Amino acid sequence: MKFKGTKYSAIGLLSLSLLLSFFAGRSFLEMRNPKPIFAGPDVKEVKHLSDYAPVLAGTPEDPRVYVMEGEQKGGTVFILGGTHPNEPAGFLSAVTIVENATLERGRLIVIPRANPSGFTHTQPLEGSPQFFSVKTPKGTRSFRFGSRRTNPIHQWPDPNVYVNKEGQKLAGFEIRNLNRSYPGDKRGYLTEKLAYGIMELIRKEKPQISFDLHESSPEYPVTNAIVAHEKSMELATMAKLNLDLLDIDMKLESSPANLRGISHREWGERTTTNPILLETPNPSQGRLRGETTADLIVEGKDKYYLSAANKGLLFTDYTEKGLPLELRVAQHLQTVEEILSVFSSSNPEKAVSFKKIPDLSKLNEKGLGPFLTGIN
Amino acid sequence: MASQLELITFLSMVSVFVVSAMLVKLPVSLSLVSASVVGALVGGTGFPIRHFVEGTFGYLDTVLVIATAMIFMKSIQHSGLLSTMANQIIRSFRNQPLFLLIVLTFFAMFPGMITGSSTVAVLTAGAIVAPVLINIGIPRNTTGAIIALAGILGMIAPPVNIPAMIIGGGVDMPYIGFSLPLILATLPLAVLFSLGLGYKHLGKIELNKIELPKSHYEDCGLTLYIPFIVLIVLLVVEQGFTGIVPSLGMPLIFIISASTALVFGKKFEVWKTARRAVDEALPIIGILAGVGIFIQIMTLTGVRGFVVSGLTGLPSGLLFLSIGISMPIFGAVSAYGSASILGVPFMLALLGTTDQILAASALSLIAGLGDLMPPTALAGLFAAQVVEQENYFKIVKYCILPGIITIGYGVFLILSPW
Repeated sequence: MKFKGTKYSAIGLLSLSLLLSFFAGRSFLEMRNPKPIFAGPDVKEVKHLSDYAPVLAGTPEDPRVYVMEGEQKGGTVFILGGTHPNEPAGFLSAVTIVENATLERGRLIVIPRANPSGFTHTQPLEGSPQFFSVKTPKGTRSFRFGSRRTNPIHQWPDPNVYVNKEGQKLAGFEIRNLNRSYPGDKRGYLTEKLAYGIMELIRKEKPQISFDLHESSPEYPVTNAIVAHEKSMELATMAKLNLDLLDIDMKLESSPANLRGISHREWGERTTTNPILLETPNPSQGRLRGETTADLIVEGKDKYYLSAANKGLLFTDYTEKGLPLELRVAQHLQTVEEILSVFSSSNPEKAVSFKKIPDLSKLNEKGLGPFLTGIN
Repeated sequence: MASQLELITFLSMVSVFVVSAMLVKLPVSLSLVSASVVGALVGGTGFPIRHFVEGTFGYLDTVLVIATAMIFMKSIQHSGLLSTMANQIIRSFRNQPLFLLIVLTFFAMFPGMITGSSTVAVLTAGAIVAPVLINIGIPRNTTGAIIALAGILGMIAPPVNIPAMIIGGGVDMPYIGFSLPLILATLPLAVLFSLGLGYKHLGKIELNKIELPKSHYEDCGLTLYIPFIVLIVLLVVEQGFTGIVPSLGMPLIFIISASTALVFGKKFEVWKTARRAVDEALPIIGILAGVGIFIQIMTLTGVRGFVVSGLTGLPSGLLFLSIGISMPIFGAVSAYGSASILGVPFMLALLGTTDQILAASALSLIAGLGDLMPPTALAGLFAAQVVEQENYFKIVKYCILPGIITIGYGVFLILSPW
């Protein structure tokens, strides 16, 4: 039997393609609607990054900036989540802070969705779900699971090779990766403009500490890790000791001096801030994962990761319990709290301290849902 | 068994592909789509329309490069540049055939070296080299194999090796210090393969006994070369001044260069030529779209995880065997895909046991062979088009032994104590 194409088969296939494209297009467009983030009690102002870098005004890369203030004066801390929208614990940790935390002293500047364009699409060939949900006492709350890179609808085409502002040579698609684009460029590609905007915020607000919240594959050596620039190393070391006492496994990694374009390196080189990048293990972004579902994002249970753990191939503990999202968020929040605590005790005049933050004990007790009670 | 569903899904996808392509004789692209639809149903994900469409975008950039590179190649063919260059090269080097063979091999590698793409190498310099090699006595299929292999080795040779960048990016290893290892990984093989395949066919070139490609130099003069010069200049500027000069992107570079052929050279019908070029590229474009859907469904249903975790969790002896076999096979999807999906986990498995840069270079070399692996076999397929051979398997056949040698050399580099 041999298939022979005719005019009618061509019309049929073309019509079918158009029909499929229509339904797929509707699905793609659903991701353009941002899910709300509800400003908590200590959010005094909601700005946009373009307030610091006007070049971003009117572009798809103008994230919201939440400014929180405590009762007493103190220092300033910057928290960046959602650099990579396929690393949900980084994004949700920032959301949890904005919606729940109250401050005793100091200011907190939080960007939960650092790369808004990355939240508007998923990465082809990765089979990722577009959304995942967290159960809360008031119902189910849905969030977008995006891509590591800026949407090509907003920045395209990629060059073959991307040489960033610091001369680092990278595969071309990395030109849409915010965490390879620092220190950014006011006149560069959209993602470079975004990186420039974040640098401008740090330069103008002069935070004493800046966090970039990430996740990584469980098979990647830099996971369960605090990555610190030389300037932040002492602070990170002290915090790590405190985390050890709480039985939270966070390794200490120094920011490689020859790997340029990454937040923990460029923020440290070009601003006065002490940069810290956090990584928790996320099975839904790894290459060894099985079926790619929304449950995998939330529960972190995967049989292939269990098998890899049994073979000693992972850089994190992994059991049948998986690596649930609430545990990963708790790890981020507790680490932030410990680092701020160490900093505040040695710099009382610049202290930033929480009155209330959903840390490890609270998240262990109640889960993540009660802290995400806004329903969209 | 925990992985039973993924295994059944995988076998269903492969079976449906084979039956569709071999028995029903559907085009390869539609066979891949059929296999994906069945895979999604068997894997329990229903009929995931969004994933089918999203998968087709996986290789959109590659598709555009292929379509525009084909338009460029057809344009310089019809403008008379291809045959003129072949004519002049043969006349100039007629007394040094061995030197000519080696120089032409390096020339065929050059576009791959500066763009990191074997397709670009084969469709540009390969298209110029092929008629020369055929005219100095190297058989058509062997010529196809030489330019396909040169394209792949050019893609891996420095300064631009995208698979190595992808592997390095996955383990936080900067693309620094790769030049020497990559020269070591590619140049000896380039010389070996061109001599191995072509030397026995070389003899004294007697101009009066061969049918030289027609030169249009007398009619058009030096301006005939402008499309090729424009292409080289734009490629060099694109790679050499990244960050200073805005990137035009490969598709635009090819279209600009092809447009100059309309002005400089023999006159030809532009629409007819462009349409024919795209028409010839359509089967491979369809395959790339189909492969994108296939991979998307493999990932969605967990089949990719089943395959990758099975391949990377092997003990060290079997690990090298797995590297040698699975990376080229997975490269059938694309060399870049192989570098990302398998190269990174393999690199992680090798960390601490060997020199990292050499290992990443060697893994990229092995991944590059994917461009010879059916059903996509980009380098083989385009080499076949360049030498006007309808059945690209006749080209790929000559690449089997060089491929095995490349795998062995790659594993040797990983194991070497340097």
